[in-house]
Amino acid sequence: MTIQSDRVLPAALRDRWPYAPHYANVNGWRMHYVDEGEGDPVVLLHGNPTWGFLYRDMIAPLVSSGRRVIVPDMIGFGLSEKPTREQAHCLDGHTANLTALMRQLDLKQITLVCHDWGGPTGLSFAMSNPARVRALTIMSTWAWPMPPAEFHTRIFPWRMMHAPLIGPYLLGNHRALAGRGVYLSVVNREQFARTAQAAYEAVLPDPATRLLTWVWPRWIPLDENAQAFERFKWLEQELSSSKLPSLIIWGREDEVFDAATFANRFKQLLPHAEGPHLVTGRHFLQEDSAPEIARLITSFLDRHDGNGGKR
Amino acid sequence: MTEVAPIEKQSLEGKRLSFALAEDRLAHYPEFRDFFVRAFDLDRKGLSEPGFVRAPSGNAYALIFIGRSGAPFPSGLEVYAVVDALEPIDGDVLDRDLWSILRWMIGGVGAPWTVEDFDRTGRLYRVPAAAPG
Repeated sequence: MTIQSDRVLPAALRDRWPYAPHYANVNGWRMHYVDEGEGDPVVLLHGNPTWGFLYRDMIAPLVSSGRRVIVPDMIGFGLSEKPTREQAHCLDGHTANLTALMRQLDLKQITLVCHDWGGPTGLSFAMSNPARVRALTIMSTWAWPMPPAEFHTRIFPWRMMHAPLIGPYLLGNHRALAGRGVYLSVVNREQFARTAQAAYEAVLPDPATRLLTWVWPRWIPLDENAQAFERFKWLEQELSSSKLPSLIIWGREDEVFDAATFANRFKQLLPHAEGPHLVTGRHFLQEDSAPEIARLITSFLDRHDGNGGKR
Repeated sequence: MTEVAPIEKQSLEGKRLSFALAEDRLAHYPEFRDFFVRAFDLDRKGLSEPGFVRAPSGNAYALIFIGRSGAPFPSGLEVYAVVDALEPIDGDVLDRDLWSILRWMIGGVGAPWTVEDFDRTGRLYRVPAAAPG
């Protein structure tokens, strides 16, 4: 089955997402992705509860700089297939989904741009497929088992909103994260509500389609018994010995993964990384600073290319 | 809003179970699973019968407990409204009832989970049933 984005998005938003849909079968699931431009690939990875739309204002400038831009929608989000059982989702499975797409497209010299759960999945892909990856950009995410963000340890509102039965009710029936949750995590809320919020809500129209919005929070390690604790330990270890050129960009107003704690910890893990560059933004910093982030990435890649991006 | 209590097994003659809510991972926080085990004597009853509660609207709800190989029972839970077989259910009433059932659950789970934090979370995300008054 194919879902065309122009059937899903509200009419007023269709011109903000003019990209042709592509689909791949990954681990038996239908994954939607955007594939624009030519050159070394830049892969833009979103997290919870967003989709490729988060990068809508970064695709054109990256393509103009002479790069091929790939924007997958994680299985469970955006225009990709949405499993209806919690057990269909696990961190390793999502990494394997991304790996499947990267191998099907036979991408090499990849620059991975990681945000939120695009961090643990994208960085796990990078560490397990080093021959395909040439650079990393890291934004508002994490890659270690402990400690979690202080926000994630609080019952109000974080643990309460995804608690058993409450997650399906609040995030499923009442769309708490896909709607108001993103709204609360941008700086310019009026602009977001007017120009973008409907695009995030439209692709998760029914409670069952929002399953992953309460499943991902349950994969954030809060103690040593957490589901993905060992994977995060491995990821931190691998990253600490990585020499991949890296760029760290963070939202100055990020209250979830605050820059002082999280961006600086990435800097300790990857001391050769550029940054952290602070831009206007809360957790969903692309909503407030997409052009500036695109400029930082193209400038970073141009310097590493030596002769500019256009070849 | 919190007048929810377990009730005796309900007759389903002339009724249907109208799906309302499902949880695949009841023990994500184990104290939630423990609450249902206590409230419905599940260590003794197991899968033999659903649990039932009465919600503020007067509607009865069936709690269907789900077992999963290799996981403590119950691993999941489905909530169904017990309604007249051929009649639709009022969505607003259902939502308020679910809110009350969850509120009752949080009260039963106990510290550090509190009804006050549940109410605050509902208000933050503008759940109609959480609105003051």
